[in-house]
Amino acid sequence: MKTVSKRILFGGVAIAALLTGTAGTLMAQQKPVIATVVKISGIPWFDRMNTGVEAYQKANPDVVATQSGPATADAAQQLQIIQDLIAKGVNALAVVPMDPAVIEGTLKRAMDRGIVVVTHEADNQKNTQADVEAFDNSDYGSALNVRLAECMGNKGKWTTFVGSLGSRTHIQWVTAGEENAKKHPDMQLVDPNNESFDDANGTYEKAKEILRKHPDIKGFQTSAGNDVLGVGRAIDEAGLSGKICLVGTGLPNPSADLLESGAITAIGFWDPQKAGMAMNAVARLLLEKKQVVDGMDLGVPGYEKVTVKKGAGDGLLVIGNGMVLADKATYKEHLF
Amino acid sequence: MHKTGEQLVMLVVINCALLAVGAGISGGNFLSLFNLQSMASQVPEIGLLAVGVMLAMCAGNGGIDLSGIALANLSGVLSAVVLSSFMSSVDNELAFSLSFMAMTVGVGLVGGVINGLLISKLNITPILCTLGTQMAFMGLAVVVSGGRAVTVGSPDLLSRIGNDMFMEVPISFLIFLAVAGLIAAALKFTPYGLWLMMMGSNPKAALYAGFPRTGIIVSTYAISGMLSGLAGMIIAARNVNVKFDYGSSYLLIAILVVVMAGVKPEGGYGRVVCVVLSAVALQLMSSLLNFGGLSNFVRDFAWGLLLLTFLAVGRYDVVGFLSPFNRQDNSSVPRPQAPKPNN
Repeated sequence: MKTVSKRILFGGVAIAALLTGTAGTLMAQQKPVIATVVKISGIPWFDRMNTGVEAYQKANPDVVATQSGPATADAAQQLQIIQDLIAKGVNALAVVPMDPAVIEGTLKRAMDRGIVVVTHEADNQKNTQADVEAFDNSDYGSALNVRLAECMGNKGKWTTFVGSLGSRTHIQWVTAGEENAKKHPDMQLVDPNNESFDDANGTYEKAKEILRKHPDIKGFQTSAGNDVLGVGRAIDEAGLSGKICLVGTGLPNPSADLLESGAITAIGFWDPQKAGMAMNAVARLLLEKKQVVDGMDLGVPGYEKVTVKKGAGDGLLVIGNGMVLADKATYKEHLF
Repeated sequence: MHKTGEQLVMLVVINCALLAVGAGISGGNFLSLFNLQSMASQVPEIGLLAVGVMLAMCAGNGGIDLSGIALANLSGVLSAVVLSSFMSSVDNELAFSLSFMAMTVGVGLVGGVINGLLISKLNITPILCTLGTQMAFMGLAVVVSGGRAVTVGSPDLLSRIGNDMFMEVPISFLIFLAVAGLIAAALKFTPYGLWLMMMGSNPKAALYAGFPRTGIIVSTYAISGMLSGLAGMIIAARNVNVKFDYGSSYLLIAILVVVMAGVKPEGGYGRVVCVVLSAVALQLMSSLLNFGGLSNFVRDFAWGLLLLTFLAVGRYDVVGFLSPFNRQDNSSVPRPQAPKPNN
């Protein structure tokens, strides 16, 4: 290597060493830091959650609440962010895991270092102190069906859509729906559990088939986020808006047109904003060494009276009542 | 010699600068022992894959290994599934750990040999061949695991590799350094290293000179595969669970690391020490941005900027330009220029 190169090399090392020496450890932060880590940043769902974290920060100036997430949908990237945050020395982590299994080891290390760990949308996460869920899946399924039955006048043929037969929550929702429908003997379930694969076009084709096969069908209960769009379009094109009832999981912004036209009766969802606030609220309680108990009020709409159960590991499962059912009249309150 | 030293200097300076900036914005926290350990334990996964890509690139003829991370996941998933049907990771901790380590590297080796044979015997372009095997490896991992995460557990030895320190340095990082050192030595002191670089510089001349082309290519991809298997073992040791789609973003990052390290994409030149430093630099930068609480989209931007900087350094004599002594040096001591092989 040439002498000049060497000189620069040593110069660089010397400067680095100097800076390292002068940079003291003065910046010890007094306020506890709660870091929210989401699956992926920059998509509407988690942008909405960010507004919740910001609102929580505003309401609680004595903590520092921030949100970050990977730019690509990769569990490994999320893992690195969590690791860096642990090394940075945050006091609490509120994680929405991309893949609960992959981050188990890291979350355990975090808890071993005394960091509070809270998760969301991961009721199978073992290494967490509390997993916050927006609602009980059975309650949500029956609530969708109650709305559907009301629209159908408690009678007529109806069917269900799930994302895939393997998706656990969707099956829980439609099973709870079927339970509820048994209360109304005139409601007749036909060809249940159609798989939509969360694809609006595929769902549209399938819904058209069902409309041909059962011209007298009265209701649809759907599960995956894009199902209402596919089924709604099929109903709309058949000129049956308002005559056939459609209730399912969906988001307000994409569903707006079909809600207006009457093709979608109502959509159900939970608000990530409130979920973000609830996670931070639980993290704060745990930071202050307070107990999270059954029937507690987290101070977040939809989480005023939470159910607390034992989780998959040693932690708690905190279930709110954060479901939102919105129809033509009310969806504008939740535009995201 | 002149240019290679420059790349190394540049990398060292950048690493130091990143450490200094980190210390500055975090008030010294960035240089705490715990964070240094945390960052060091994150480097091996990507570093091992990058060394594999480097070897493939050095082989020339458009050599590249895209199947790295898929093979790493496959080795982890396959070993976990097969071994847990034989023995429990709780009862025979040592036996399970040892056979898991052997099997991950073994699966990696087999995968690499397949790549090498396809490329050398069937003359498939490396980028297409490894793209195909990447999908095949990933698909096989999906089939074997049923698309779910597979639990490896934390038997004593394995969990130590993933989590413990030896003299305050993470064991996984030491393994990475040892392996990198071994490969660097092989490239420098064995005929294989010479053949690989010569073949990369001029495949035709190498052919007429009677180099064992098939042998070189197969062993290159086999080593790359073994490195992937090792990465799979470290991933499993750290994360307790393995899954087929872990680290899907690593593919491009590994290539980024290699290009930043000054490895010639057309083959024939690459230094392991530069790849190691370049992997460390990327890690420092990404941890730095996480420390600063900046968006991860900024990270992509910063990586791109870093890459362009390095390309500029490679093309123009930036270090020389910055130092007036350098020019004098050049004029007063005329150096014989090495004849350039093929351009």
